[in-house]
Amino acid sequence: MRNQLARIVITVCFVFLSIYFLWPTVQDYNYRKDISQLTGQDSIAYLEKNHDEILAAKAKRVKLGLDLQGGMRVVLEVDILKLLEDLAKNKDDNFHTILKEVRTESAANEVSIIPLFAKKFQERGIRLSRYYGSIRDEDAKIISMLEDETGKSVDRAIEIVRNRVDQYGVSESGIQKQGGRRIIVALPGVKDEGEVNSLLQGTALLEFRMLKDPQISYKVMQSIDNYLTGKLETDTAAETSASKEQKKEQKKTKDALTELTGGAAVSESDTTKEAQFAREHPFFLYVKPDQQGTGEGYVAEKDKDRVVRLLDRPEVQRIIPADLEFLWSAKVQTFRDGQKFFVLYPVKRTAELTGNVVTNAQASVDPDDNRSIVNMEMSSDGAREWARITGANIGKRIAIILDKGIFSAPVVQAKITGGRSRITGMDSPEEARLLEIVLKAGALPAPVTIIEKRTVGPSLGEDSIRAGLNSTIIALLFTVLFMILYYNSSGLVADFALMFNLLFIIGVMAGFQATLTLPGIAGIVLTIGMAVDANVLINERIREEMAGGKTLRAAIDAGYSKAFSAIADSNITTFITGIILFQFGTGPVQGFAMTLMIGIIASMFSAIVITHIIFNIMSEKGINPNFG
Amino acid sequence: MRFFKKTNIDFLGKRKIWYIISSIMVLIGWVSIIFGFLEPGIDFKGGTEIVLTFPQKIEVNDIRVSLAKVGMGTSEIIYYGGENSVLIRTSEQAEGITVSDKIKNAVQTAFPDKKFEVIKEDKIGPKIGKELSLDALYALLWSFVGILVYVGFRFKFAYGFGAVIALVHDVSATCGFLAIVGYLAPGLNITVSQDVIAALLTIIGTSVNDTVVIFDRVRENEKIYRSMPLFDVMNRSLNDTLSRTVITNGTIFAVLLILLLFGGDVIRPFALAMFFGSICGTYSTIYVAGAFVIDYKRIRNRKAGLVTA
Repeated sequence: MRNQLARIVITVCFVFLSIYFLWPTVQDYNYRKDISQLTGQDSIAYLEKNHDEILAAKAKRVKLGLDLQGGMRVVLEVDILKLLEDLAKNKDDNFHTILKEVRTESAANEVSIIPLFAKKFQERGIRLSRYYGSIRDEDAKIISMLEDETGKSVDRAIEIVRNRVDQYGVSESGIQKQGGRRIIVALPGVKDEGEVNSLLQGTALLEFRMLKDPQISYKVMQSIDNYLTGKLETDTAAETSASKEQKKEQKKTKDALTELTGGAAVSESDTTKEAQFAREHPFFLYVKPDQQGTGEGYVAEKDKDRVVRLLDRPEVQRIIPADLEFLWSAKVQTFRDGQKFFVLYPVKRTAELTGNVVTNAQASVDPDDNRSIVNMEMSSDGAREWARITGANIGKRIAIILDKGIFSAPVVQAKITGGRSRITGMDSPEEARLLEIVLKAGALPAPVTIIEKRTVGPSLGEDSIRAGLNSTIIALLFTVLFMILYYNSSGLVADFALMFNLLFIIGVMAGFQATLTLPGIAGIVLTIGMAVDANVLINERIREEMAGGKTLRAAIDAGYSKAFSAIADSNITTFITGIILFQFGTGPVQGFAMTLMIGIIASMFSAIVITHIIFNIMSEKGINPNFG
Repeated sequence: MRFFKKTNIDFLGKRKIWYIISSIMVLIGWVSIIFGFLEPGIDFKGGTEIVLTFPQKIEVNDIRVSLAKVGMGTSEIIYYGGENSVLIRTSEQAEGITVSDKIKNAVQTAFPDKKFEVIKEDKIGPKIGKELSLDALYALLWSFVGILVYVGFRFKFAYGFGAVIALVHDVSATCGFLAIVGYLAPGLNITVSQDVIAALLTIIGTSVNDTVVIFDRVRENEKIYRSMPLFDVMNRSLNDTLSRTVITNGTIFAVLLILLLFGGDVIRPFALAMFFGSICGTYSTIYVAGAFVIDYKRIRNRKAGLVTA
């Protein structure tokens, strides 16, 4: 009986875990149903009211693959030959001939480009130093330099794409590096191809822009706040019932504002006062101005889309002066207390300089104090301009902006002549490396080509979901009815286990943050068929044992123990193919392999453990299961 | 309910005939792969595939005429789902996405008053196709190795070989079947896509599952009937597990049939391959895997006999 207890405890744990993991998905579904019933102002108010809960549910729900919700999957490849061409100097006819040859050869076959490229030069007795590096460099050194350069260019391309996708605001997008020089970009819900192409392929725009005077920035924020006070009455009323967490933040915002507003209207720990603050300062509720007077605003990560919405209002846009633009920090930052936030920078609308003047950038470490720095070099034209800009703006801050995302805003310490600048103030070597990548994006664009692109329209996605659900339900009904028909009450027990099985599969998928794809649904349907197998094996075995003259109780125990080796061995072999499928498959096929593997484990558990529990309980209560 | 009482069918007595039938099926499969009767989808060939849906019925021929004007009249054009949607497939390659733009522009110019919606669009570069083919091949080979090792380890190596030969049979026969269906019913849009490869690998999984269940019974019966020749043990085990074979596989066939009928257009090639493959898998367990083990042992015993004599 100890076994029995252990089985029950494990099962109950799994059931609770599955429900726990699935809960956000259910919530997400309810929210979306509610929103779809509301219209216009109502739906915005609803969104505003349940903002945090909706976001949390969305983040943890079972993700739908691109084939189910529609969207695009793009595979980009960094064009190494284009890069080699861009890097080379003194290009002559020989160079172009070889480049062309390598291009044709590499198009037909999968070869490593740089060794092939180098070999071609060596065959003709041309030293690589003629085109790359300095004249005395050995070929080997140049080759490793080129390899390094191409490796970095892939990182650069990833950073550029990620930055743009983030700015563009695609939710649940996925960007990953595949192999040496490929980037897979998943863009759920996106269907405008033109936009995607410019998102992925255009040259990155690196800009240097001056930050606006903090005083002006404050004034603008103030007038936005004042303006919104009247307008957002309805929204903020809903805010009164906001969660505790939010109140805490309001308090922090108030702390930050004490200085700004001269302490007026801010007395702590009074709910009505807080609500009043929310009503009176709808903008500062979310945007926390910097206390040191830099003119920046801090916005909690989860509030960013709210503030974007506020700033996007046409009336608010009218308040903002023509030469000022609010731009976001490209990356989310973390306060010392662990809070995540974005920085809202007030910058000039026009760029002082664009990134094509940057010739090189290199992250390194200051030998004096071991801090991370980035050295930046500029072309002679750029250097002249740079000297003028830095000279005129000593003590002010200049923002380094890539495709509208701000990566750094260092203070100009002195007039920089000669084009060599040193950027300090990075917290970590990673931050310095990122800045190097960003600066180089202006200097040396990483040329990418789209080599694979799959688009699924949202209507096809809906059709697929409907067809998938329908077939799952029909298959389930059929299987359930058949089992009862064939095995009587023990069939019912098997069906009961099957329900748990489905709960486990979806629960585990939610827990692993796995993505449900169309082949994944097929995998679940197939699992229904295969889950039955374990019960069939057991029930057939019990029938055999009973036919052999055993008592019901003995037959059940013998049935389970004898059927076990067949169930285990057969499922393990299927699992092996699942692993291999996962290893070699891409995208949807991996989704299928994932569900198949989860399904195998879940079905073995529910078929062996859960049914056994039920049979034991039945026999204790003196109910004899009927094996048909 | 009970379909079978205790049976005593001689499954393996006539295995020679089934050897011939199995060989023919494998041969059809190989011929269709080698001579290209089995159409590789753009996943493997590279190219562009696009599905356009119109608000009303559209003639395939009209689409073809409009594409011919831009020199793409040879593209494959078929109905997709209903007569409102067409699938256009071409292996033409170009930089960027110009092929699909060309198609969309051509169709839009030809039917300026009909506004279509792009339902699905795939563009695969030639290199990707090659890599996918290689990956698929590796996946097949590795799963064979994995199964050979596992079954060989849990049973005996002859059983592992038997299981893998049965799998080769299933995969080949399914390819042949898909080629024939694709030829007879071009409207079904059967091409070898990634999904079909996934189906082939899953067939491997379910087929070996079936084989292992029977081998498991052989392993057990060998201990019970020590003096019985392997041939009889195998037949005995097949009869012992017959009921399970029919119930389980019957359920799986039914489920796959449901997927085939109600699962929608996208999943159809997958479901079709799975459906036929599962039938093959059940058959091959008996007449390929089981039969191989018997004849392998028989030949080995004969050789051993010669050596000792």
